[in-house]
Amino acid sequence: MNEASLIGLFVATVSFAALLYLAALGELLSEKAGVLNLGVEGMMAIGAVTAFIAGVELGNPWAALAIAMMSGAALASVHGFFTVALGAEQVVSGLSLTILGLGLAAYLGKDYVGQPHGTELVPVEWAGLSDIPWVGPIFFSQSPIVYIAILMGVAVSVVLTNTRIGLALRASGESASSTDSAGHSVLGLRLSAVAAGGALAGASGAYLTLSLTPQWAEGLTAGRGWIAVALVIFGAWKPGRVGWGAILFGGTLALKTRLQTFGVDFSPIILSMLPYVLTLLILLVISVRSRKRPSPAPAGLGFPYRREER
Amino acid sequence: MMRRPRLDLRDQPLAGGQPLAFGIGLAVALFVGTLLLLSAGHEPLKIYTRMFEASLGDPDAWAVTLNRAVPLGLAGLAVAVAGSMGLWNIGAEGQIMTGAIAASWVARIGGEWPGLILIIAMLIAALGGGGLLALGPAVAKAKLGVNEIITTLMLNEVAIRLAQWLIHGPWKDPDAYNFPLAPMLPEQAHLPTLFSRAHCGILIAAGVIVISSVAVKYTAWGYELRIAGSSEATARYSGISLPHKVLTVLVLSGGIAGLAGGVELTGTADRLTESLSNGFGFAGIIVAALALMRPSGVAVVAVLFGAVQIGGQSIQTLGVSSSVSTILQAFVLFGAIGAGVLSRYRILFEGDTHAVPEEVNK
Repeated sequence: MNEASLIGLFVATVSFAALLYLAALGELLSEKAGVLNLGVEGMMAIGAVTAFIAGVELGNPWAALAIAMMSGAALASVHGFFTVALGAEQVVSGLSLTILGLGLAAYLGKDYVGQPHGTELVPVEWAGLSDIPWVGPIFFSQSPIVYIAILMGVAVSVVLTNTRIGLALRASGESASSTDSAGHSVLGLRLSAVAAGGALAGASGAYLTLSLTPQWAEGLTAGRGWIAVALVIFGAWKPGRVGWGAILFGGTLALKTRLQTFGVDFSPIILSMLPYVLTLLILLVISVRSRKRPSPAPAGLGFPYRREER
Repeated sequence: MMRRPRLDLRDQPLAGGQPLAFGIGLAVALFVGTLLLLSAGHEPLKIYTRMFEASLGDPDAWAVTLNRAVPLGLAGLAVAVAGSMGLWNIGAEGQIMTGAIAASWVARIGGEWPGLILIIAMLIAALGGGGLLALGPAVAKAKLGVNEIITTLMLNEVAIRLAQWLIHGPWKDPDAYNFPLAPMLPEQAHLPTLFSRAHCGILIAAGVIVISSVAVKYTAWGYELRIAGSSEATARYSGISLPHKVLTVLVLSGGIAGLAGGVELTGTADRLTESLSNGFGFAGIIVAALALMRPSGVAVVAVLFGAVQIGGQSIQTLGVSSSVSTILQAFVLFGAIGAGVLSRYRILFEGDTHAVPEEVNK
């Protein structure tokens, strides 16, 4: 094990953490408003493929990112329409959304498989900071999306805790009927949260094709959407804690492909179970503790709201 | 001025609402599919004819469709059994895997056993393997109230990786030229065929579905189950032990999903593979939801859904990308979900009279 490969591990950890964090933040927003969206994998795939196509056709990575976010939001809105407007089962609609997203992504991208990418988000150089040993490459030579992910984390945290709209959004996930009584539109709040969540999942997918693996292939998202769903629970629905969880889970993703280089005789497949096993353990801890204090999960998560059933 | 629409609960669900919902779903899928196919320069009519012929056109096609309906139906039943108590088993995908793993393990030990005994032992092991994976979420839900949606979902990923690990490691076939493949099942471990390529898994699935359907509908056990599903408070007042019910129902649900894995292994797959569960567990959730969590409805929906999947695969030979059939499936689902809601609700516009008496409102 040499210094370069260790730095490589940490660089990849931060990259994967950002990838997971963006998608998990989106899921957090949606769940905070009371809507479980199990379509993350599909929304990431749509973000990845539209970013790649836009990158090839337009040559501008920022336009590609914007298009990926809009596509993610549009796909999420399908879930929003069925679960929020019609009140359909969130679990069923979310899983259908995953199928739809993966299918659409494969369809849209079929002529782009194996093509060279049109454009890439160039890593940001932070003048002197990037040259610091260790810290420079790990934190100050990353793709701009990494910094966007951190900014998004701060923004989501601030909006949820310190603004009126954030309060209303959380309220619609805790008790929809009282939010309605207070004069807010539960429908509007939930639809916006779901769409915003889709945009973040789209950005996460875009990170894959604009920075991490600048190629498009079916199955590129490789189950990371499910890790994002797990992360929200792991982080107890708190943006900060979800961030630390993202670094931990990102670390397992980064380590998985490097075990052999480090000469560690441990199955990478067993290692990749870790995020899920840790999430299960955390769930148990939360529920044992919640006998004394309230559960961190939004109380109205999973329940549709219809005014006349108040 | 535009009047805002809203949803209003019907006094009675629309008669025949669910078959109608599935029909509308199909119609929506056909419409969107036609646009998709036209835009890609295909002839929709030719492709739909091929889909029908390949899935329901003759006995051979029926055989393939029924073989597909077996895992879909058993997985759907697993979800529906839990669903009739208001529980979500999202873990059928993983339970199918552990069921298949347990059955493969028996096949490794009993390579010399006579066929019938080996197959029965494998299927029992599959039940156990699926039930075992559901045991953790069941205990956590019953004792601690941990949300079963998330625990079962997480265990999917664990179970699939367990199968991967076995195939890449301890169970790797030494004769497979270093490919990560599990060895083939012994010859006598294959389910006998009924007609054409249809194996007798369809009888097993039909039997289990009938038994469960009767158990849920007509036995005291099923009655308690449905009470517990409709109102926790009522259940508690009538002396039903909820934790005990949750435990047995979730483990049973996992066992049925495991059985799906065992039948798929002995009937179709012939060896443990990473993709044996093939999305059947997730599709099972959708099958159960379309069947309104009624075990009796699962069989019909599973055959129809199987036909959609097999028909979708068949058009790849006409040069249509497999993603088109995935998209069509998704549109069947969303069409049916939407129509399902509208069979229970109707759209009223602002100012229309609220026709539902107060006590009907939940």
